[in-house]
Amino acid sequence: MRAALLRHVERWYSIPLLLLMWQAAVSSGLVESRLLPGLGRVAAALIRDTGNGVLPYHTAITLGRAAAGFALAALAGVPFAAAMARSALLRNLFEPIFFFGYPVPKIALFPVFTYVFGIGSPSKVAFAFLECLYPIVVTAYLGFRAIPVRLVWSAENMGAPRWAIIGRVIVPAAMPGIFSGLRIALPIAIVVIVLTEMIGDSRGLGYYIAISGTRFEFANVYAAILIIGACGFVLDRGLLRLRRAVVHWERDGERAL
Amino acid sequence: MKIPAAVQHWIVPVVVVAAWEGFGRAGMMPRYLPPPTLIAGALCEVVADGELARAVATSLYRVIVGFTLGTSAGMLVGLGAGTMPGVRHFFDPLVGFLYAVPKIAFLPVFLLLFGLGHESKIALIAFSCFFPVFIASRHAVLGVDKHLVWTAHNMGAARATTFFRVIVPAAAPQLFTGARIGLAHAFILLFAAELMGARGGIGPLISEGEDAGRFDLMFAGIVTFAVLGFVGDRILMTVRGFMLRGQMIGTIEEAVR
Repeated sequence: MRAALLRHVERWYSIPLLLLMWQAAVSSGLVESRLLPGLGRVAAALIRDTGNGVLPYHTAITLGRAAAGFALAALAGVPFAAAMARSALLRNLFEPIFFFGYPVPKIALFPVFTYVFGIGSPSKVAFAFLECLYPIVVTAYLGFRAIPVRLVWSAENMGAPRWAIIGRVIVPAAMPGIFSGLRIALPIAIVVIVLTEMIGDSRGLGYYIAISGTRFEFANVYAAILIIGACGFVLDRGLLRLRRAVVHWERDGERAL
Repeated sequence: MKIPAAVQHWIVPVVVVAAWEGFGRAGMMPRYLPPPTLIAGALCEVVADGELARAVATSLYRVIVGFTLGTSAGMLVGLGAGTMPGVRHFFDPLVGFLYAVPKIAFLPVFLLLFGLGHESKIALIAFSCFFPVFIASRHAVLGVDKHLVWTAHNMGAARATTFFRVIVPAAAPQLFTGARIGLAHAFILLFAAELMGARGGIGPLISEGEDAGRFDLMFAGIVTFAVLGFVGDRILMTVRGFMLRGQMIGTIEEAVR
């Protein structure tokens, strides 16, 4: 009991410690309180803007956009990766696009997206889709290609029909790869949406941060950062849980921070 | 007749560019998508008058210094966290929470802390690089085969020897993976920070082209930015290939490259 408690303290002490140092720095007047507002003011801003519905409103918009981009990328990317792993023609046509395009900073294309899709939600969702598509396709593709061929041979040998091989051998064997791609893409979706909202929008947490920053309301900036961090953390945990349920036979590689 | 794979690789990009050019010349493309030849012309224009060289130098300075600082810090702390439980327990909760927060959200804070010059961008880029590099390095050390470490200890290797001759080489591939993700983050942050308030650099070049309705100039900036990101990644991968010659043989990554 005591040992377990100690372990928890050992594992989590740094967050309260840092918050304490933050508060101490503010209270002692070492840092300007306008720049680094005290915890009380951040909490007050958080409570005030949650109570009057401003933060929930912007959070819902940001999460909705991120979810839309992410889901579209997953729905399009995974089957496409499977097709690429399967067909030599598709592979030859699209492998360079994905492998050479992967390190290209696609953010530079965002201004073009605003012209094609308008400055509201569509351009942001489309851009999140593009940014998520790359890690999902590349990782899932590597996952599909890394399936040991003897698994397929064994299934064929035992007389499994084609659909059973796909559904019971290939897809499950590729699941770890698919999930790694999704796990890379999920924070990207959130980052990209907040970023593009900061560049230009009148809704969403990115806008909230940008406008609070220009008004020197840094307590509100930190409040929004806290919310984004919490959302990202919860969503990542959710994805890990899903992975654990789907890929129940493999424990390796799921170790989270 | 079978088209060789090397030719197939080029089909999609060539068709896209040719169609863009054709439709653009025929006046069927919107004004914000100027034909590629016009973009090439604008590129020559900014190269000739030295504007591009200045912008590239400014942006490169920011990204190189920021990336170097952030990556070295991430690797040092990550290696420390991998080897020392105390360091790990301190940083894990912090990184776990901050990782999902778009670092650009701290832009207002960094602007006030470091001013409008290079420093705020460099600090933000370094801050953003730190997290993926830390996570990759930490995982890399923890993933090192325990038998290797035990063997070294058994043969009487000192702790430092084990660290430098066994752990670091075994973790090296993943250290590079971390640096690669860090580089991608660096370019995203560079672009976003430059677009949201900076003098000099490629970001302002793009937004100036946009504001002036010179979409060919805007695209010239976008192309330059994409090329920089791509070349940076290639350089990193070349360094990795050189430093890890022999270690990559037979991996999937080698196979698809």
